[in-house]
Amino acid sequence: MGKGRISNNIRKLRFFRDEMTQQQLAEKVGVTRQTIIAMEQDKYSPSLELAFRIAHVFGAPLEEVFSYHPEDSQA
Amino acid sequence: MSFQEKNISASLSTFTLILVFYLIRVSQMVQAESFNSANLFRLWGIIAVLAVVGTILISIFAHIAGGIVHKIRTNEDTQIEDIQDERDQIIDLKGTRVAHTFSSLGVAASMLTFVFGQPPLVMFATLIFFGILAQIVSDIWRLNLYRKGF
Repeated sequence: MGKGRISNNIRKLRFFRDEMTQQQLAEKVGVTRQTIIAMEQDKYSPSLELAFRIAHVFGAPLEEVFSYHPEDSQA
Repeated sequence: MSFQEKNISASLSTFTLILVFYLIRVSQMVQAESFNSANLFRLWGIIAVLAVVGTILISIFAHIAGGIVHKIRTNEDTQIEDIQDERDQIIDLKGTRVAHTFSSLGVAASMLTFVFGQPPLVMFATLIFFGILAQIVSDIWRLNLYRKGF
């Protein structure tokens, strides 16, 4: 089974939360700012726990923050 | 460059310098016909001390120099993110796996020297060579994961 791709709307959601900074989000979810940057650039897919923590900070369901694209549906 | 990347770069620089130093010393010993167990094990000791002291000193220098450059560029104080989160841990584990693979190959290669009829000293010299090389390859691998993502 091929590997899919996980994308996210973290940048957009930060913007709608009064332009929350990457540092503020990082502190709220307990990771470094570098990890937030890597996630926004789709260079890192977070663990399930971190994904839930991020969704909790934004008060949004998980699927609104993250979406999964199977390999065969990549554009 | 993040805190972890600076540490890895410091380790990479240290071990590259150590590898160069090691190769030069071993070739000097061979040329001077002083390649014996006393000299080789003394070199092991020197390398072990250099690895610890060198990594600490170069890390401190890298953080101080990085802080000064950051202050000059942005006029802001440097924020040290010295926590290790899940991404850092995964990258560390992947780097360790590469180091273990390389070390294992090194041990196999060292044992091969016996097959070709070389004395045990050559085996020991090859062993430490691959040990240092494993650390270098692991550092490059981890830096690549930080830059390219995974």
